[in-house]
Amino acid sequence: MKRQFRLVAALAVVVAVFAAFTASPATAAKQKAPKPAGSITVSAAASLTEVFTQMGTDFQKANKGTTITFNYAASSALAAQIQGGAPADVFASADGSNMQKVVTTGQVTADPVDFTANQLTIVVKPGNPKGVKKLADLSTVGIVSLCAAAVPCGKYATQMFTQDGITIPSDKVTLGQDVKATLAAVQTGDADAAIVYKTDAKAAGKTVTEVPIPASLNVLAVYPIAPIAASQNATLADAWISYVLSPAGQRTLAKFGFLPVPATE
Amino acid sequence: MTSRTRRGVPLVAALLASVAVLFFALPLFGLLQRAPWSDAWDDLTSPVALDAMRLSLECSLWATALSLLFGVPLAYTLARGRFPGRSLVRAIVVLPMVLPPVVGGVALLYAFSVNNGVVGGWLHDVFGLQFTFSKAGAVLAETFVAMPFLVITVEAGLRSMDRRYEDAAASLGANRWTVFRRVTLPLIAPSLYAGAALAWARALGEFGATITFAGNIQGRTQTMPLAVYLLLESHQGTAIMLSLVLLFVSIVVLVLLRDRWFGAARES
Repeated sequence: MKRQFRLVAALAVVVAVFAAFTASPATAAKQKAPKPAGSITVSAAASLTEVFTQMGTDFQKANKGTTITFNYAASSALAAQIQGGAPADVFASADGSNMQKVVTTGQVTADPVDFTANQLTIVVKPGNPKGVKKLADLSTVGIVSLCAAAVPCGKYATQMFTQDGITIPSDKVTLGQDVKATLAAVQTGDADAAIVYKTDAKAAGKTVTEVPIPASLNVLAVYPIAPIAASQNATLADAWISYVLSPAGQRTLAKFGFLPVPATE
Repeated sequence: MTSRTRRGVPLVAALLASVAVLFFALPLFGLLQRAPWSDAWDDLTSPVALDAMRLSLECSLWATALSLLFGVPLAYTLARGRFPGRSLVRAIVVLPMVLPPVVGGVALLYAFSVNNGVVGGWLHDVFGLQFTFSKAGAVLAETFVAMPFLVITVEAGLRSMDRRYEDAAASLGANRWTVFRRVTLPLIAPSLYAGAALAWARALGEFGATITFAGNIQGRTQTMPLAVYLLLESHQGTAIMLSLVLLFVSIVVLVLLRDRWFGAARES
């Protein structure tokens, strides 16, 4: 009896401790500091890896005492992380629908702003050994690497194939969990072709050969950015977003091959 | 007083143990609580789920068979052989157990990829074999991570068995193959079953090496863990139901290992 009581007591204590932890209010007052300082985590689409890393370096140089940490993954994975309570301060998505997920759950503090755009392209092994010339060739080239259905680059690719009436047999399609994994299937793996963003092809350099898709067959990917409600450093989060939208930020994006946001439709 | 301190669990230990139990139990509870039971059947019979389950079963059984075919002789060699560099060989064999599976996948790529592999191009040109993006590749990746479990379990069985039975059989005129088949194998049967079950369970759960090396093609290399990972973002219900199937299988393996095979091993 005594032993049982002891165990029950121990359990009760544990439950109480847990309850105390989860109940602690996460409403730490956000003080408005005039100058950004401290650190934030930016959850950004995998396709932004190279350009945001560069912009992060530039930003930190210009704003001493700030640290920008990046969390790159598929926008769909990032949206799921933010919904699950992952500590992010800013979310930069490669498409509107994944951004909309966190908007719907009320996890942004301001309306998302479109900050850049991108287009799709075909990448093949260096020198194009299979002689891929046009989008329709992907139906017969062999193994084609695409992003998974929920990942923006996968959605855009599906949209493009539907719009252009192209079908690739599903047993010839390998799905990457983000655009960089999709690209890697051609870079280091044995996939014959992949659909990635033009900026990924540019960043990949000589490890792949690009076969451009004409604008008439292509789709436009528009990237929104928004501050996340759970942020403990809203000042720095806003400063980062302003920097991304600033002429300097836009110049860096252009240098990495990103397109300006199209004029309002 | 002495008897009490010996029998009871100290409060601090009980407290910390409860935290540990909660730590393991909460994720299971979370999974069960999020499971969409009303759509369970539809989720599990969707083409993606069916393909993944069929493929997982097929590939993991192949991986277990290959592990037995090559792993038992390897365990025998490690347990009985006397040759220089034996500990190095064992280290190489056990390495996939501690190596991050993704690294294993990358390593497999640089061995068997048609374009970048050490022997992949040759295998492709001479035998027409391609492991990347093929079912054979998924089997290869699973075997790579699973076989070590079989090897070390069987090796331990071989080391702990009483070799006098083998000597007796040999002195009565049995040749080496007969001794192995009629005496050694039955004696190490519990470790053989346990090793095979562990290897199978590991193969079934393989993710990193498979997605890196074999790719992610529905019906060909997209095994259950890969499907779970991708579906989590598009069809969460299906992902959770597939996870529960894997969870159920893991529990069955554990129960079998504990009650029958490990039990038998302990008795003998």
